[in-house]
Amino acid sequence: MERMAQRQAEAVTSSWAAGPGASDSAGGDLLINLGAGHPSGHGMLRLRLTLEGDRIVTADPVIGYVHRGAEKLFEARDYRQIIVLANRHDWLGAFASELGVVLAAERLAGIEVPPRGVWARTLLAELNRVLSHLAFLGSYPPEVAAGAESDEVGAAAGAGGTAAGPDEAVRSAEAEAEAAAAGAAAARARELLQSIMEEVSGGRMHYMFNRVGGLKEELPAGWLGRVGAAAAEVRADLPRIGAIVRGSERFRGRTRGVGVLTSEQVGQYGVSGPAARASGVDFDLRRDEPYLAYGELAGPLRVVTRSEGDCLARFECLLDQVAVSLDLADACASRLASLPPGPLSARIPKVLKIPEGHTYAWTEGPLGLSGYYLVSRGGKTPWRLKVRSASFSNVQVLGELLPGHRVADLSPVLGSMFFVVGDMDR
Amino acid sequence: MTADLPARSRGVIGLLEENCTVCMLCARECPDWCIYIDSHKEPVPSAEEASAPEGSVHGASVQGAGIQGAGVQGAGVQGAGVQGAGVQGAGAPAGRGRQRVRNVLDRFAIDFSLCMYCGICIEVCPYDALFWSPEFSYAEPDLRDLTHERGRLRDWMQTVPPPPAHDPGAPAPKERLAAQPADGAPGPGAGRGTLA
Repeated sequence: MERMAQRQAEAVTSSWAAGPGASDSAGGDLLINLGAGHPSGHGMLRLRLTLEGDRIVTADPVIGYVHRGAEKLFEARDYRQIIVLANRHDWLGAFASELGVVLAAERLAGIEVPPRGVWARTLLAELNRVLSHLAFLGSYPPEVAAGAESDEVGAAAGAGGTAAGPDEAVRSAEAEAEAAAAGAAAARARELLQSIMEEVSGGRMHYMFNRVGGLKEELPAGWLGRVGAAAAEVRADLPRIGAIVRGSERFRGRTRGVGVLTSEQVGQYGVSGPAARASGVDFDLRRDEPYLAYGELAGPLRVVTRSEGDCLARFECLLDQVAVSLDLADACASRLASLPPGPLSARIPKVLKIPEGHTYAWTEGPLGLSGYYLVSRGGKTPWRLKVRSASFSNVQVLGELLPGHRVADLSPVLGSMFFVVGDMDR
Repeated sequence: MTADLPARSRGVIGLLEENCTVCMLCARECPDWCIYIDSHKEPVPSAEEASAPEGSVHGASVQGAGIQGAGVQGAGVQGAGVQGAGVQGAGAPAGRGRQRVRNVLDRFAIDFSLCMYCGICIEVCPYDALFWSPEFSYAEPDLRDLTHERGRLRDWMQTVPPPPAHDPGAPAPKERLAAQPADGAPGPGAGRGTLA
């Protein structure tokens, strides 16, 4: 979507720049609408950009195009039906979203999940994190690297018109091939992990596998072994997946120093997750307020941070976190194999009523802090279930990040703030 | 086509309608109410009716059968039951207890254009009438054709795979625990009482 919208914006600005100029824009500024895109696109973000040439003066995210009123719908659903909806707002991190709902309900009801259930949840949460990270790593860096200098090539040809053209074209073709290879490697890794998730839960994206009290079904025989094999395969593929982020000079040149987010802004806007850690904010709930089995995973759990706060640092954080999550998944799988036999779920009544009270359960989702504020009045449905989603805050800061950048910088900045539009609008 | 998909894959829902008692739990628990069920009630034929050549189910003929039953009181193995009925219905001329009825399914349809593939209907079914099948290729040019009626839902049952075996760390399934004698109790039927 962003790519399409960027093209649209570039088309608009170039025609404006090449045109007579004064007649188009009396004040020198041009207001263009970027987005909201086509309904078939995966989510819609609209940015109101004020431009000066192709320089962004103000950026105003206009959100709400995929607002589905999830929080209101929660109030008319029991806790199993809520999971169906809760795993859909962030469609890349479904398991993490399910988790917040059931953790909140379990805490209020005083339900303790058996150890096998806790470890299996931790394992699935980490696999889901890898899947989400790979979706970002597989789409944006290749796009940025492949399309990087096309506008500059055009500008150089227009200005100088020297013999550098064909040479540039060859380099451009090589870069595109490299980018396509990295994207394909990420897609292959995602496919591998999705089939692992599908085997256990029956779903590739909307797992619907958490239940209040534990998990829906027992793990299939041999599944833990396949988790290990898949994790090893993805780990072996990481150099190829990360080739762009680590090695492509085009990509690094276009993202270094671009979209710098300061740690003050992180605090002001509530940015969280890898986007915040890339700005030096060393905060990760898995370590700082351990839930599930993370308290016992201090060894493999390394919190990845960077200090630069630019697009490059954000993507590097994401890439490093994939490796950490694979280690965590391995640790969980080996622990699950050695735990004494026992159930995955606590026994809960058929008609589940959550006692009166309120609680806030927050987890470290793939995109950042994912929180659920649950208020129960003792019924089968919550009285209120408020969602605090990472994407919402991560998008708000765009208004600060984008001014001063060129339209061509939109793609790396938007792609590195790690948001899912459904998670933002809910 | 679906050979390489895992058994739990949520492709389409099959209906084993012999197991359905029209309890409506699936339709009630469905988060988007995309299951349509119609039914009517029919009297359950009594034992002697079932053995009678004309096993009619209409209320009037059931009454007639009741009178007939009273007439053949004490005949054969059903004597005790018929006698009991006679005692219970001493004041009633029909000579029978309360008429038992059962639900008969007229329509069972799932609208897959609304379905969110959460599987709650399958989970709540207490009689094992609904199953997941990994079959997924049933796209339709017309949205209305995504409502699968009972015939189509039954056909999907042909594609339901057996469930996967469980991880060695899993507790034994409760059916097996119930069928096995409790540890320490040697009698072969000792555990049966625990079947709930």
